[in-house]
Amino acid sequence: MQASRARLFKEYKEVQREKAADPDIQLVCDDSNIFKWTALIKGPSETPYEGGVFQLAFAVPEQYPLQPPQVRFLTKIFHPNVHFKTGEICLDILKNAWSPAWTLQSVCRAIIALMAHPEPDSPLNCDSGNLLRSGDVRGYQSMARMYTRLAAMPKKRLAARIILITGQSNPV
Amino acid sequence: MARQYLRKPPVKHKTRGLRRSIGNRSEIPMNREEDAKQTGSCPSQQDFNSCPICLGPLVQESYLDTCFHKFCYNCIVHWSRVVASKRTRPSSSVKCPLCKTENFSVISGFDGTCFQRHYINQDFENRFTFSKAHKYRLQCYYSEPGIVNDIFDVLRFWKSRKYLQSNVWLHGWLKRELQTLMQEEDVDVVVHHIHGVINSFLRRIEQTHLLKKPAEAKQDNFRTAVFDAAKPFLLARTDRFVNEVELFLASGLNIDAYDAVYMQRLGWNTPGGTTSTKPAEEPSQHVGVVPYLYIFDIDSDGAE
Repeated sequence: MQASRARLFKEYKEVQREKAADPDIQLVCDDSNIFKWTALIKGPSETPYEGGVFQLAFAVPEQYPLQPPQVRFLTKIFHPNVHFKTGEICLDILKNAWSPAWTLQSVCRAIIALMAHPEPDSPLNCDSGNLLRSGDVRGYQSMARMYTRLAAMPKKRLAARIILITGQSNPV
Repeated sequence: MARQYLRKPPVKHKTRGLRRSIGNRSEIPMNREEDAKQTGSCPSQQDFNSCPICLGPLVQESYLDTCFHKFCYNCIVHWSRVVASKRTRPSSSVKCPLCKTENFSVISGFDGTCFQRHYINQDFENRFTFSKAHKYRLQCYYSEPGIVNDIFDVLRFWKSRKYLQSNVWLHGWLKRELQTLMQEEDVDVVVHHIHGVINSFLRRIEQTHLLKKPAEAKQDNFRTAVFDAAKPFLLARTDRFVNEVELFLASGLNIDAYDAVYMQRLGWNTPGGTTSTKPAEEPSQHVGVVPYLYIFDIDSDGAE
């Protein structure tokens, strides 16, 4: 308990100190509970998630860093390895390949890398996985882009485009 | 479920790591040399001296035996237990949290002259710990050779054929000496081997051509025989080991008495005297052997 608290406090200080170091990740600790964090990550460029801002929720166990934090997407995202309803993420380093040398910050980075390189062979979102596995990259990309615009973009830009999107492609 | 390419834990340089992982998939698993280079060039001293597990300053600095990444002792031991508890089959290794190299033991308490070694997944309470006596013996190897030569006359041992009396303490003495030098608890085979070589040499000496030779020749032959026997196990420390064996034989003392004489010369009062308390003792007492000064000269394990 004490160890995890101390370590999270170190990470908190590190995040405060290097706020500007990584503009793609914004980690915020809950005001009242150091075991609850949220992160805002920017969708990587040249992916369907570009331009979107995705919110992640971290629940850190008391055994941290010996146990991995639980992370899920709060923002809706269409991705083979993210559960469409719950936001659960299928990523080995959050499960059996966890190492205590990872930090919350680096986990965010791993998730960004996962967004850029989906792994359709271990899907949590079968629709998305099937599109990629059947070779329909374009179908996957347009679906993912649509949900990025619907769920992960600031509202004012969204308003202008929403008609455009719904007119173009029909969700299944 | 398993996704190989994301397995490498992060490097310390955050922005660089991110750019790379997004930019080029093939570069995500960075190799170890690269890691080392990056940490090496890391400007922040604090980063370099902190434990990657608790992120705090290193407490009881410990190293893994293969990759030599350092951690707090408690952190890495806890982690190796967590890993062991998850496995279905017991394993004697743990992957380094930083580089994923398989490691078999944790090296801790390195104070310049001795260290402790804990094998993964062995009962940490029942491990082989260095006794005070082992530590004192190791200190001897860092002291200048020949500091007790004036007490024990080695040449007289050969001249007056003292070797004819068998030394009953030799076996026990050898065992402790080899445990100290090899950092292993189970050295029985090596002890048996070297003890056998020494005994048979001393016994045969009267029956061979050496009988008529001067004491110096006997001594030389003895040293060669023991050296050859011990060399594969002790490497760079063999020379000194042969010296110590000869000294012990020449002393004709039992282990306790021999230790007492040796320690008095080292400037220790008891085997309990640690290096930290040493400077507190009156410096005028003896020329004083400061083992630290010789570490880099003599500790050339494997350098030969």
